[in-house]
Amino acid sequence: MHIQKRRYSFSQVLFHLIAVAFCAFTTIPFILTIMVSVSGESSVIKHGYSLFPDTFSWDAYRLIFSGDEIWRGYMVSVTVMAIGTGAGLLLSAMLAHTMARQKVRYRNGIALFIFITMIFNAGLVPWYIFVTKYLHLKDTLAALILPMLINPFHVFLIRNYFKSLPPALLESAEMEGAGPLYVFAKIMLPLSAPIIATVALFYSLAYWNDWGLALWLIDDRKLYPLQFILFKIQSMINYMSTQGNLVSGSQTLPSETAQMAMVLVTIGPIILVYPFIQRYFVKGIMIGAVKG
Amino acid sequence: MKGMFKELRSNGWYYLMALPGLLYFLVFCYLPLPGILIAFKDYNFKDGIFGSPWAGLQNFAFYFHGDYAWRTTFNTLFINANYIVFGTVIAVGFAILLNEIRKSFFRRTYQSLMFLPYFFSAVVVGNFVYLMFSSKYGLVNQLRDLLRLAPVDWYSAPGYWVAILVGVYVWKNTGYAVILYLATIVGIDDELYEAAALDGANRWQSIRHITLPLLVPTITIVTLLAVGKIFYGDFQTIYSIVGDNGLLYETTDVIDTYVFRAVKNVGDISMPAAVGLYQSVCGFLFVLGCNWAVKKINNDNALF
Repeated sequence: MHIQKRRYSFSQVLFHLIAVAFCAFTTIPFILTIMVSVSGESSVIKHGYSLFPDTFSWDAYRLIFSGDEIWRGYMVSVTVMAIGTGAGLLLSAMLAHTMARQKVRYRNGIALFIFITMIFNAGLVPWYIFVTKYLHLKDTLAALILPMLINPFHVFLIRNYFKSLPPALLESAEMEGAGPLYVFAKIMLPLSAPIIATVALFYSLAYWNDWGLALWLIDDRKLYPLQFILFKIQSMINYMSTQGNLVSGSQTLPSETAQMAMVLVTIGPIILVYPFIQRYFVKGIMIGAVKG
Repeated sequence: MKGMFKELRSNGWYYLMALPGLLYFLVFCYLPLPGILIAFKDYNFKDGIFGSPWAGLQNFAFYFHGDYAWRTTFNTLFINANYIVFGTVIAVGFAILLNEIRKSFFRRTYQSLMFLPYFFSAVVVGNFVYLMFSSKYGLVNQLRDLLRLAPVDWYSAPGYWVAILVGVYVWKNTGYAVILYLATIVGIDDELYEAAALDGANRWQSIRHITLPLLVPTITIVTLLAVGKIFYGDFQTIYSIVGDNGLLYETTDVIDTYVFRAVKNVGDISMPAAVGLYQSVCGFLFVLGCNWAVKKINNDNALF
């Protein structure tokens, strides 16, 4: 018994060590980014990126906030996220509402119509030609919102949740003359608050983090979302680093520390809300896991 | 026809509510479908999809006769296969490990920290990779220096990048997958463990003979769903890390990055359309195959 107990606590220590090591692995790039963004540029050039810089400076933040590009990027990203999440969530929930009702005869047809888009697509080029040549979305704010407005996976997630609510509730409301709109707004949505919150957060995160749409469809600098501004800075620096030492030491380069400050500016809002929203994502993943 | 009219009259509001969503799918997913013709045409912007002259299978021939077809297809499948294998093994390992940790405070903290990278955009991930592997200032070369190893010019050495990409994938997605597998583990009936303990089984034996076998269905489903998407490269991550750095294409150029470059950097339309169609068709066949396999194993988990 004595040996058993000791072996057990040994394995607990081992588990903690492995978990701590992995958590260090997942968080160190983030912590390093913070440290580099507040380092003096000279200490980066002397010692490289370091968790323990010898000089500190706010210059990087002063530099990136001196222009109006960041502010404009924030405006674009926040607008896209707010409109996209609001509209996408509403349309997804309304679709789910119709698909969840037994008495709607073509509900399975609707589900099939949506499902097909999940397993086959025309490919990027036909999509690109259609969106630019026929819808004329190039260099518009709508180009950052419309193409990813509804995620079919989330429609099915909401539908499954709606289906699990007791149908008697809806039927009694309908008996008293409530229409589908009323039932949707006053019964379905309030009863489904957890899944609605989860899907809203998934949409917000997808919009906030997206830069693929900007990469394909935006050339106008005024419409660059935050992530895309960061991408542009980063690809310039990567390009230069492959060109050897041609430009090392040059003062005209965007500085190393400013790039990291820029990273923090784009992930700042996520980090601030992360402790509060994390459990909704966990719940969403678990619901998805149980339902397949 | 009459029945349809009656259905629309009695449930009209429902269809009206579904209409905007259906229009979205019609416009963004179905209307581009005729554009598939571009793959068989010599497309020019002025004449459009239908007016451009036919090219037969010339666009496919161009892709498949060059080295690119084999290289991009191999890289796509090889990188994704590594994602699946390492991603699954490590996530299952950590799900079991976290489940064994007794203090719930630690369990929750570890889970939160592991999940964090999932929230970062691919561009931010690209930046993190640069922090680690930049040859001038990167952390990895500093560590090599401490160990008295020669620095490596990572961004011009294609041999390392599959491993790095897999590391990035594990770094970003383990937290998500751990939650998925923990959901299954938490659902396992405690009586099974109690019975095993009564029979004298220790923790390792319980894990091997109860937890793992009961995880197999979830692992199978998750894996098959991932295999169904194996023809689609991880564009956002790979492009934000590799970008237009041609030195690394040999091991990192996937179908999606190749198509993107052909359209945006070269300005070609027809050939990448053909490549995209090849990808869509292969991807579709893989999904059908995997769904068939899922059905064989457990009908409830099949997609369709």
